Amino acid sequence: MGHHHNTEPRVISRREMLGLSAGGFGSLALMSLFGTMPLGCKRPGALESASNLYLGPHYLPKAKNVIFLYMDGGVSQVDSFDPKPRLAKENGEDPRKKFKVDATQFDNVGKILKSPWDFKQYGECGMPVSDLFPHIATCVDDIALIRSMVSNFPEHTNANYFLHTGSGLQGRPSMGAWMNYGLGSENKNIPGYVVLDGGLVPPGGLDNFKNGFLPASYQASVFKAGPEPVANINPREGVKNLQEEKLQFIKQLDHSLIGKIGEADAVESAISNYELAYKMQSSIPELTEFKEETEATKKLYGMDSDDPNLRGYASQCILARRLIERGVRFVELTCPNVGPGVDRWDQHSNLKKGHEKNAHAVDQPIAGLLKDLKSRGLLEETLVVWTGEFGRTPFAQGSDGRDHNPSAFSMWMAGAGVKGGTIFGKTDEYGYRVIENEVTVHDLHATIMHLLGIDHKQLTFRFGGRDMRLTDVHGNVVKDILT
Amino acid sequence: MLWIRIFEFPSKILTMFFSRIKVLILICVLGGLGISCDRSPQFSEPLPKVVDFNFHVKPILVQNCYLCHGPDPSSRKAELRLDTYEGATAALKEGGHAIVPGKTSKSHMVQRIYNEDPGMVMPPPETNLKLTEREKALLNKWIDQGAEWKDHWSFIKPETKIALSDPKAIDFIIEKKLDEKGLEKVPLANKNSLIRRVSYLLTGLPPNPKEVQEFLSDTSSVAYEKLVDRYLNSPAYGERWARHWMDLVRYAETKGHEFDYAITGAWKYRDYLIRAFNEDVPYDQFLKEHIAGDLLPTTRENKETGVSESRLGTTFYVMGEGTHSPVDVRQDEADRIDNMIDVTTKTFQGLTVSCAKCHDHKFDPITAADYYALYGVMESTRFSPVPADVGKDKKLAAKEIENLNSYMRKLVAGKWDTAKSNYENTDYAQNTAVNTNEKAYTVIGDFRGRDFDGWTSDGFAFGQRSTLGNPIVDMATGKLLGLDEGKASSRAIGMGIFGALRSPNIILDKDFVGVRALGNNSSIRIIIDNFQLIQNPIYGGIDKKVNTGEWNNFVFNVSAWKGRKAYIEILPGVYERHKYNLQEDAFIEAQYAVTYDGEWPSDLEKNFTTQQPQDNWASLEISPSKVTRINNDLKKGKLPPHFPELKSVLDSSQQLAKSLKTESFVNGIYDGYGIDSPVFNRGNYKEPSEEHIPRRFLSVLSLGDSVFKSEGSGRMELAEVMLNEDNPLTSRVMVNRIWHHLFGRGIVETVDNFGLQGKLPSHPELLDYLAVKFQKEGWSVKKLIRAIVTSETFKRSTLKSDALANADPNNIYLAYFPVRRLEAEAIRDGILAVSESLDSTMYGTPVATHLTAFMQGRGRPGKSGPLNGEGRRSIYMEVRRNFLEPMMTTFDRPIPFSTFGSRNVTNVPSQSLILMNDPLVAQQAEIMAGKLMEKGLVGFEEKVQWIYMQAFSRLASSKELKKASDFFEMLRTMEEKEAGNENQEMELWKEYCHSIFNLKEFIYLI
Repeated sequence: MGHHHNTEPRVISRREMLGLSAGGFGSLALMSLFGTMPLGCKRPGALESASNLYLGPHYLPKAKNVIFLYMDGGVSQVDSFDPKPRLAKENGEDPRKKFKVDATQFDNVGKILKSPWDFKQYGECGMPVSDLFPHIATCVDDIALIRSMVSNFPEHTNANYFLHTGSGLQGRPSMGAWMNYGLGSENKNIPGYVVLDGGLVPPGGLDNFKNGFLPASYQASVFKAGPEPVANINPREGVKNLQEEKLQFIKQLDHSLIGKIGEADAVESAISNYELAYKMQSSIPELTEFKEETEATKKLYGMDSDDPNLRGYASQCILARRLIERGVRFVELTCPNVGPGVDRWDQHSNLKKGHEKNAHAVDQPIAGLLKDLKSRGLLEETLVVWTGEFGRTPFAQGSDGRDHNPSAFSMWMAGAGVKGGTIFGKTDEYGYRVIENEVTVHDLHATIMHLLGIDHKQLTFRFGGRDMRLTDVHGNVVKDILT
Repeated sequence: MLWIRIFEFPSKILTMFFSRIKVLILICVLGGLGISCDRSPQFSEPLPKVVDFNFHVKPILVQNCYLCHGPDPSSRKAELRLDTYEGATAALKEGGHAIVPGKTSKSHMVQRIYNEDPGMVMPPPETNLKLTEREKALLNKWIDQGAEWKDHWSFIKPETKIALSDPKAIDFIIEKKLDEKGLEKVPLANKNSLIRRVSYLLTGLPPNPKEVQEFLSDTSSVAYEKLVDRYLNSPAYGERWARHWMDLVRYAETKGHEFDYAITGAWKYRDYLIRAFNEDVPYDQFLKEHIAGDLLPTTRENKETGVSESRLGTTFYVMGEGTHSPVDVRQDEADRIDNMIDVTTKTFQGLTVSCAKCHDHKFDPITAADYYALYGVMESTRFSPVPADVGKDKKLAAKEIENLNSYMRKLVAGKWDTAKSNYENTDYAQNTAVNTNEKAYTVIGDFRGRDFDGWTSDGFAFGQRSTLGNPIVDMATGKLLGLDEGKASSRAIGMGIFGALRSPNIILDKDFVGVRALGNNSSIRIIIDNFQLIQNPIYGGIDKKVNTGEWNNFVFNVSAWKGRKAYIEILPGVYERHKYNLQEDAFIEAQYAVTYDGEWPSDLEKNFTTQQPQDNWASLEISPSKVTRINNDLKKGKLPPHFPELKSVLDSSQQLAKSLKTESFVNGIYDGYGIDSPVFNRGNYKEPSEEHIPRRFLSVLSLGDSVFKSEGSGRMELAEVMLNEDNPLTSRVMVNRIWHHLFGRGIVETVDNFGLQGKLPSHPELLDYLAVKFQKEGWSVKKLIRAIVTSETFKRSTLKSDALANADPNNIYLAYFPVRRLEAEAIRDGILAVSESLDSTMYGTPVATHLTAFMQGRGRPGKSGPLNGEGRRSIYMEVRRNFLEPMMTTFDRPIPFSTFGSRNVTNVPSQSLILMNDPLVAQQAEIMAGKLMEKGLVGFEEKVQWIYMQAFSRLASSKELKKASDFFEMLRTMEEKEAGNENQEMELWKEYCHSIFNLKEFIYLI
């Protein structure tokens, strides 16, 4: 199709392509090959082809990395960061007499339910935080709180997909995949998008972390605690150096194959991938053993706690820091399983017990992470995001639970480019609906991308006849919370 | 930034004037010096003699102009459209014309594209779009040559002048192009490479060494053709090509979302595909079975079992994701239908119709109205369990039972003929329809008369009429106990038989739906917006189990869904976690169904609401009141009660009924009642248009304007228009898919997109030749594959010179055969085959997914499947949406959510890690070493050669033998350092085999 090549916006030599595909995770070194390319040069009507390659930020980024603390199941905003005294006043009254109640997923609308926790003001900014999070409360001057989040979906799975991929349906690329597609990874030996599985894979499954229509190299690598942190990362050869010898042998034969077939980029890339895989075998275990971490650091995160869930989450938070130190672009932490009897943050009943167990497990490690990042100067270049997929109702489900509420929830960000001590957006007196400065999930994505130096409207991938975006056709950067 | 600017800013007109002069000068310069004066490398290729609209001009327009001047009026600027001849040559409202054919100097387009003023130039700088000099020159020359407009190439019906039977046709076209491009073709591949290539591409498996030997020693002139036929006729062929198809229809065995519920019987569709490819079912039939297999007047039967195959094809509609308890059930339907439209149009037409959901397509002439015409077709299609074991025999048996029932009525009527006159004056009062208009209820169906009151009886159980007047006979004595009252009964034919009685669509306007029914292990369900995954939370109340021997009022509170479309479904059997189960003793009977507010309408019990047709005594087609009187008289002894002859009739009927029992179901579809959908503004159902779009095909294609007349969905008509001989896409899209699978790249590279944004065909003449041939020669996939793989083009070596590689780096012109990585399935199946542990058993329930520690989350099966998948081929491994096999996805098997005609071929370290460290690969290496030990091969060399023949279908070279022996030596030294190993020899061979699996030659087709 020669005539078409002439209309391609740029020509990448086959050697460059080879280097690119062998990059595995995409690397800065390779990006520089295209560094002179004007951004946004991909044409809206460009034909579907390898020209979907996209590399490099659009403008100077504030953040280099993202740590995404996912609060699976939906934290109650009125019990955490959005105090509503009126709930106490009207505790036990019929909500339907107060305001219009939307259909909920469990359709078991109880009475107005006051928060079982007290709120206190913290920091110089005086941000109120409930007693659920005494440790995070000590970091409020670094936190920009958004109280006006909304989601499009009241069901977990749709809302999870939406939060992670910008679409409520299965099959779209996750934001971590988009960031790596846009920016590449800075470390050739570790994947650029890592999910630290703390015990709970969110409803919707691993598809929350997939590459969708982007090439598979952008999907998340899932790390788990234990002897094999990444699938197939441990050599199976019992004898020392045996694997190296085998790989040498394989390499020799592979190279003679190239001699037989002439130039074959794909084969050459596959050969160089073995070297990368080999290096990962040592770089990953090195990461997950905390040999260099001091006792003081471990203690800061809560590694000395009696609560095994807290210890587990603490070690994930330490690992997250270690990953971003090594240039991993996007790290997501899933929640620990604090059961029995408690299913993630999803307290349809027994709110007090459930939220307390969850909060206890994550509060100190998160505060430890923020403090540790700050003391190492890493918070300036790392964006920490804390959010669930939706909020919960201010009225009870049954007598002591709360149902899903996509019409209002609280989330916060801290770190690179974020104005600490800010509160943005407002809900009504019940914390049921947003009444000021609504922020959508698309806006959140646009803002995260903005901080990474990406214009969310420019980062596109042609699929199924459309230039797809993480933010679809929506999204506005929430400028008010940015420095 | 637009055309209109000229006139908005009069001061710029002057600039325009000057730039026009500049344009003219430029044209003169170009004319005088020729194109070589341009330094751009893009200009190195001369402009074509004749500039073709489709191949040269339109790509430029699509990329640069159509966002603002394309088919979508909502984003059109300056009222100018450049996607039609009329639009492009129409008078601009400010005067002048964008394009004046033959007159470049009068064409504003030329002026604007050559303009250097940033405020004037097209496309505007802020779009980041810029035409190259060559593009401008092409547009200019095309206008100069008369600006000939053509339909999009793929919408023009394919034609060919080449004889369809010409065995050299493919090579002729390919080589003509090679000559044009000055590329020299390479020699044919050697026999070892060829057999490996043909075997893998046709069957997905490596050739076994015996086959290799046979082929090598077969010196006949047709040795290769024999080989091709052998693989085409191998059962493994169907397994390979079925999997290709499964990528198109997002094949999965669970519904994903929160709990990953099973799609009952999905694997039967997989088996259907394997059989269809192996039997070479003509593609037109195959397409019809997919689109409307449930509606075909004659069905295709399985040759062995006699079971109807056709209906299984429609299972592909059901393969989508399924939402757990969606709060907005209407949105859920819109999403589901969008996915059905997306998959159907991409798969069969290579068009991305889903892009027109929110607005007219930005690039293709597909309107939002087209999308909603198809939306109606899908909305009128309902879901149902479908018995997977129905053949002609069962249909005959069901018919026979109905005949027997009718015969029994006639027999009784005949015997009582003399009493007939006693009933002529029966009071009809009870039989009069009650006007329910003013009541607080609406009768949705009343089955106490002779018919089903307009409801659909699906399956066999309910038969075609109510039970009214059916003789009830004591089987022991043959005594007639009475005539049956009117009701819809799934026992009318027999117990444990599948059937469903479903109402027409209603709009819910009252608080309650009520059904008077009795039964056992059966269900009544309210289906709102075709939503099937009924359960708590939210939906638990609209699926009621029926387990009562007495007439009971079943009440459904539907007040939450007022205004929604719904239907009532009455069926024997129950859903358990969305799996439909039909027990032997399951039956259900119903008298009437109603919607109402407030209290249950008790007056209905006495008042029938259906008008009955005239009585017909001879067949006991009589009114309910007559039945009552007769039963009274019978009790009083006024009528003769003994009918011993009915005993044998009943006996035959019951025997026949046994044969109708079904335990094998698939989640399938059946045809509902035709619904025309409005257009949803910006894709939002809450903003429907006034106008409803009649169901029809895509307006840009032939017959796209003819409205479907069917009272149902219109899918049969949809299949027919796709197969209309004037349809330009159906055949082209399929032959291109086949070419893609054989060469790794389609003639049209974007195999699922033949629209304006798709790639142009590299060899249009070839594509059309193959499309016409396919269509005219009976739509035989095997014949087409045979024609392609027996061409010299297919048989060429992969070895090429650097010069050739540089001249055609992407191998568009096929001077050599492309090196290809094997697909995920072929890699895994290849390992199993080479280690001799492949179990070639075909068909059946899937092998459970092997669960690793990394595969967690809701819906995780309680038990992991075996590591080696029982040694079965990958196509038989379970596809659980939320627990996809890591090896498959890592090697690029697509995530099943949309159509993927072309897989990505990525290159990531996790692939290397699998081959290096995955326990399955290590296990298979060990097995292979074990098999090697059993072969009784003596020398080292012999063993290595055995392995090479197994793995690479060739012998090792002396250099490779030397390398192997060095490797062993090195291993021995290493092992000696370790403490003595009892089974050392075997261990060493295991390491060697494991290394073999890691060679690139193993996962690439060389």
